[in-house]
Order: sequence, then C-alpha cells, then structure tokens
Amino acid sequence: MTAPIATPEDYVVLLRDATGLDLDLPALESDFDSLPGWDSLHLLKLVSALERATGQRIPVGRVLEARSLEQIRRVAVGA
Amino acid sequence: MDGREAYLLSIGTALPGDPVDNAQLAKALGVSEEWIEVFIGTRTRHFARDFATGEVRWSLADLCAAAAERAVAAAGVDAASIDFVVMGTATPDALMPATVNMVADQLGLDQIPTYQLQSGCAGAVQALDLARTLVTSTGGTGLVIGGDVCSKHLDLRRDLTAAAPSELVNYVLFGDGAGAVLLGPEPTGEAVALRRVLNRVTGLGRKPGQVIEWFGMADRDSGKQAINEDYKAIEESVPAMAEEILWELLDELGWSADELDYLLPPQLSGTMTAKINSRLNLPGAVEVSCVADTGNNGNALPFLQTELLLKQMTSGQKALAVAVESSKWLKAGFALEKL
Repeated sequence: MTAPIATPEDYVVLLRDATGLDLDLPALESDFDSLPGWDSLHLLKLVSALERATGQRIPVGRVLEARSLEQIRRVAVGA
Repeated sequence: MDGREAYLLSIGTALPGDPVDNAQLAKALGVSEEWIEVFIGTRTRHFARDFATGEVRWSLADLCAAAAERAVAAAGVDAASIDFVVMGTATPDALMPATVNMVADQLGLDQIPTYQLQSGCAGAVQALDLARTLVTSTGGTGLVIGGDVCSKHLDLRRDLTAAAPSELVNYVLFGDGAGAVLLGPEPTGEAVALRRVLNRVTGLGRKPGQVIEWFGMADRDSGKQAINEDYKAIEESVPAMAEEILWELLDELGWSADELDYLLPPQLSGTMTAKINSRLNLPGAVEVSCVADTGNNGNALPFLQTELLLKQMTSGQKALAVAVESSKWLKAGFALEKL
C-alpha cells in the first residue's frame, strides 16, 4: 500500500491536519526543541494520524528516539 | 477553641463497572495505545456509562450513595447517627437538586443539614475541611463524600481525530468513581485523627488551568469546547505547588519529613504522579497512589488513596495527603494519624 506520506508535501498536509500547528517543509528537519509549540500531545495526534494513514501500529519507543518530524516519518514508513 | 478533634471512623469507595484498559480506550478514541502507556502511564479506569453503547449505567448519586453505604456499614452505625452530609464534586448529575440531596435520599437520610461544594481535585479536601469544622464545633458525626463522573464528556460517537490536544488529553486521563468517610468526634472504628486540613485558593489574577463549561438551552449549540486543560501550565505548576503544600503542612503540624510514614501525592496520571512523587523526595514515606488503576476521577481520588492507606496504616503512624486543583490553582492537603 502506498501511504499518503510518501512525499514530504503529503506529510506536511497530514501534520497540519493532525496537530493544528502551522508547519512547513523546513520544519520537517528541525529539532523538536526548536519547533515552536510542539509537545507530547501533538506527538499523540501525529502518531495516531500516522497509524490511521498507514494502517499499522507505530512503535512509540522508536518515535521517541526521533529528533525531527522527518525522522518520525521514516519510522512510520519503515524506512 | 474547645480542643475537640475530628476522627475518621470508616471509609467506603465505589468504582463503576469493569476496568477499561488502554487497548479498549485507544481503539475507541482512535489514538495510540502505546502513547497512553508511555505519556499518561494510567493502565485502567472505570466509566459510569457502558463503554460499548454509551448508555449511562450509574449516576453520580448512585456511585456516591454506594460509597457512603459502605462507609456507614463499615462503621456499624445506622442512619440516625449521621448529623450532616458534605459532598464535593465537579460533575453533579444536575444543577438542581444538588446531587448530595439525591444521595441523602438514597441513604434514607432526612431532616439534617447537607452541603455540596462545587469543586475539582481539591473538592474532597474542601469537604473534609468543612466536615472537620462541623465535627469540632458541634460534636456531631457526618458523612464526607467526593465523587465525579467525568465520562459525561466521553462522547464516543464523536470523531476525536479532529479534537484539540487540550480537549483530547482529558479523554486519556479521566475516569469515574466515588468515596466517602464518616467523620466523628470520638476515636472509634478506624480511629484515625484528621490532624490538619489545608484548603486555599492561590490563583489571583491567574488564568485557570482546567475549565469545564456547562451549557443551557441558549448556548448548548455554541460549539464551545466543553472541557479544556492547559496541560503545559499544569505540568509546570503542579509539581512545585505540591512541594510547597507538603512543606507548609509539615511545618504547621510540627512534623519532620522523617516522621512521615505515608505520602498520598496528587493523582494526575500514572506518569505525572510518579514525577511529582520523585520531586517530593521522601524516601522514608511509602507512596499511596491509585491513579494508574482508577484513572483521574477527581473528587474520588483522596478517598481511594485513603482506603489503600488504611489497609496498611498501624497505630502511631502518620500520613500526609497533597492535592492540587489546577482550575483556579487551589492548594489542598490533609494530615492523618492513627491512634
């Protein structure tokens, strides 16, 4: 199955919908510490949205090791 | 001052239905089960409405009456010996009649003073405070009740994928339940002295950390978010407030930290309570917590903790409970000593 997060552009759309935050392409590579407004509840909304999009459980342990949104996307697509 | 003391004579609690685990909750809310485990750290909670159908199975009055009946039975007294009822809740069944009076009706109580305190997590402590004043000033014996049915806001028909984080967080934190104690002027039954109660609003000029709206016919379609939790402010403020409450109470009691046998810390969630407990840093005191198994059921929590405490407390031991209500930033706590 082709997940709707195959491209960074698709992923930004999913991220904005899931979190309500005004995120853009450069934000994907930002460290979470420099991402304005980001917190663990946004992480819940993102992980839940990714699970719906991919139809698979996302291992939260690996997500927690990620330092950027792009690294989370790679966890989700299994890359 | 006439030197009278108030004593906790007995306790009863009520949790509705079977526990709902994170797998069930995650599936119903469409959120990650593992996230709930890692970030919230609460394993199970109980809901007064059927989790599958949404049907209401217990009212708040039902739960509070069940808890109170257990407390009365445990003390081995009859209804005639109850002189007043004080109840704290954030989620009354109706604005009128006050739920406390429906509880009194279920218990067969009549012709006595009743009080209901509209309150959040500090409500059980406020109820204890008022009851202690009544016991020591009148010599009467009273029922102190706390309970909440947070599942009133758990609308499983809604698509929560679009819910704001400040709303969604409530669904993974909360549960339902009730508790009650009998408080009297003589050290009978459990014979635990209520040595001190702290109950103080500290939120002057400060934005509330937790808001629960209520709606009437004119604004029911306003689309306003019914519950709103400023979880960042809570995460930042509650541990510091808990520490201040602990030391203030110890100081007022003239107790040293080493003397404390048990600590009942604030019960926000499994994870937050563990963080607060480690910050309070009282390795000599046994932690008494329930939130990881019961969920955050508001005004029921201090009773559920006290029930766990009484199972292990022995003569001469001391316990201190700390609670914070983040709505308008209330500091609360109480001290118990078993005779």
